[in-house]
Amino acid sequence: MSIEAGVLIDLDCEPIYWHLPKNRNTVALPDSRELWDVIWENRERVLGFAHSHPGSGTPGPSYEDLTTFAAIESALGRRLCWWITSDTQFIELCWVGPKKLSYVRGPAMWEPPWMAQLRKESKYPRHADTLPEIAIPKESVFDELPKEWDAATASLMIKSDGGKS
Amino acid sequence: MIQEHEARVNVTFAGANGDLPDPVSFDATDGDIKQWVTEALRTGGIPGIQVTEDADLNDFVVDRFAKVEGVRPFNLLQLRPKTPFGA
Repeated sequence: MSIEAGVLIDLDCEPIYWHLPKNRNTVALPDSRELWDVIWENRERVLGFAHSHPGSGTPGPSYEDLTTFAAIESALGRRLCWWITSDTQFIELCWVGPKKLSYVRGPAMWEPPWMAQLRKESKYPRHADTLPEIAIPKESVFDELPKEWDAATASLMIKSDGGKS
Repeated sequence: MIQEHEARVNVTFAGANGDLPDPVSFDATDGDIKQWVTEALRTGGIPGIQVTEDADLNDFVVDRFAKVEGVRPFNLLQLRPKTPFGA
């Protein structure tokens, strides 16, 4: 059984703070005043936050994730990068607008070195150190559009894709 | 002067931190507090924080801190963004 974990990343793509609260569990990192305090104290140098989801395959953001992304960014007054990893794959997300929760996946072409440690802290049955090969998404961000995302975001993505998809 | 039953309201928003000019009841509901602060943010009512006409605090939480003698002689209500993540 895995357990969710998080890590705050700075502008040099190095970990600032490992978020491993005692009340974390398989499917959630609960609300944390401490995490917000660390983000605020490091607001000048924070690039983003990564957290883990249970299981393997391509992870996706939950509604809880998306509303937390938006709330933190509105408090900071700027946008961040958001990563989510599973046992075998990760995605990176950023806001493109126009709506409050219009976050899209980036290309995730390069796996940051701290991602393996994040998987290890998540205690997957087989963490990254023991996997024969890490499957990193190589396809375009525009290949998989979650059905629940709104039409405005879809049209923006199509525009960004040159209307090819 | 903040009375025994009152509290200072502090919020972090748009990269800045500020207080409501007037204290509120320490027992006010989260919903009321978020509504008052939202209106203040939308009208420039919080010194130090820029006017944000579409300010939305639905995903913020209210942390409540009772006064601490010798440290902070008043109750404090702080609004910050929620931070949970979930699969």
